Amino acid sequence: MSGSRDHSRSRSRTNAALGAAGLAGFLALGEAVPRLGLVSEDYFPPTSRIATALGTELGDHAFWTALGDTLTGWAIGLAIAVGAGIVAGVVVSVVPYLRRATASTIEFLRPIPSVALIPLVVLLYGAELRSVLLLVVYASFWQVLVQVLYGIQDVDPVAEETARSYGLGTWARVRHVLWPTALPYVMTGVRLAAAVALVLAVTAELVIGAPGLGARIAVAQTSQAVPDMYALVVATGLLGLLINVGARTVERRALVWHQSVRGEVAL
Amino acid sequence: MRRLFAGLTVGALLVAASACGSSGGSGKSGKSPSSGSPTTVKVGIIPILDVAPLYLGQEKGFFSRNGLKLSLTPAQGGAAIVPGVVSGQFQFGFSNVTSLMIAQTNGVPVQAIANGVASTGEPGADFGGLAVKKGSPIKSAKDLVGKTVATNTLKNINDTAVRESVRKAGGDASKVKFVELAFDQMPAALAKGQIDAAMAVEPALTTIKSQGGTEIAWPYVDVAEHLTIAMYFSSTQYAQANPAVVKAFQAATAESLAYANTHPDEVRKALTTYTKIPANLLSELTLPQWPAEADRPAIETLEKLGEQDGLFKKTPDLDKLLP
Repeated sequence: MSGSRDHSRSRSRTNAALGAAGLAGFLALGEAVPRLGLVSEDYFPPTSRIATALGTELGDHAFWTALGDTLTGWAIGLAIAVGAGIVAGVVVSVVPYLRRATASTIEFLRPIPSVALIPLVVLLYGAELRSVLLLVVYASFWQVLVQVLYGIQDVDPVAEETARSYGLGTWARVRHVLWPTALPYVMTGVRLAAAVALVLAVTAELVIGAPGLGARIAVAQTSQAVPDMYALVVATGLLGLLINVGARTVERRALVWHQSVRGEVAL
Repeated sequence: MRRLFAGLTVGALLVAASACGSSGGSGKSGKSPSSGSPTTVKVGIIPILDVAPLYLGQEKGFFSRNGLKLSLTPAQGGAAIVPGVVSGQFQFGFSNVTSLMIAQTNGVPVQAIANGVASTGEPGADFGGLAVKKGSPIKSAKDLVGKTVATNTLKNINDTAVRESVRKAGGDASKVKFVELAFDQMPAALAKGQIDAAMAVEPALTTIKSQGGTEIAWPYVDVAEHLTIAMYFSSTQYAQANPAVVKAFQAATAESLAYANTHPDEVRKALTTYTKIPANLLSELTLPQWPAEADRPAIETLEKLGEQDGLFKKTPDLDKLLP
């Protein structure tokens, strides 16, 4: 990410052009493969038919309700995960011995796939928003927590000692030393968590049947409405893209002062 | 329509559900549904053909007239519905009869309270059938010996029914190989030759036929003349604590079923509100029957066949299970 501004701007323009060409090629392939009869049109409709179905979906009020449901689950789940992840990460790092006491537990809980908890949440909450939230929070919490832990570990001991010798209290050190060091890590965690949260929100709806885009995909599937199903899958893909772009923008805004974003060579 | 019928995979869940299912269920006890503001009941359903009468009855006001407000909650199959009903998130649920019998013999406290859906009983015009692809050498259920048949769940109502078809056609049912496949994936699997036959229900059945496939048997009809396939149920605790609500639900459901039976056009219209079945399939598909009452002799036959197939740990108690 180093180099002059002009250079990076022209490079980003080339990247955008290449990206657009790649996408166009992919769409053309999606049109050609079923048309040439390589796969059955019944099960893999050409791009144009998916696009038509997507247009119909966008004009349907129920689609926007489903989108709203998915985004509600995503946003609330992400907010809880980020809040809890940051607080837990800071507390675990700041309180003496807590990091080592919790390390093995965290390493045990973290790799449990959220999807494996589906039978449990169905028993606890049935097909409701709470089920979605539990899965989303469980999956994205670890992303944030682990990044916060790494970030705080990265604090420069000299800066930390300096702050101590100037008599800064715990809160002041968290605010002025820990937080600025950890923030780039936290932002990475939030970006990863945002993507994971969407995956889990849609998965939960698809498997459990909680209202949202996932449940709509399942209905299209059971109704033999194949183009509609692909259109909804595309819609979730676009949503993921928007969320990623949004998360990157937030990250860049929050870290304008940081060298990774400023793009200047560190001294 | 996948996992329409809760399979044995649910068994473990069911047992777990029964263990922690005593918390809910009696939350709204003592309230009479016919007086004052309507009682809201949550019904766990699968968004398929079978539950159209509830949507229709809700629209026609049959439930509000009985003091009930329906909250129809689509769930992905019995795997989510049975635990939901037992733990009290749903007051009522929709499940096939074999699954209810399996649940009961596993000690899960469920009780059927109203009829759900039945086979039309007409060979050649049922909403579920055993189909093969175009040009298949398999001409009858007897030819399935040594072949692979897809059903949506194993060890449940559909493979039991297919076995009966094979037996009735004079074949050895124990030599038929069953694989589990969701209904919506059956047309593709059949076309690609991954399976030799599929026990499909609408709308997948119409998709198969539109691709040139043919039905070789009607397993539901082979089991009984008017086979009751699925019913609405509640937990035993809820039914005991809320007899008035259950009675109101029974009355409104019976009315809805009767109305659906005599107004197929309105059923097809109702289907567009909660499914996405394409218009070309919608006009062609065969609707099931919705009798107001369950057919006890047919369920007894289903029970015997299930026992023969080893589905139950002990004999189901139909007197306790059925309304």
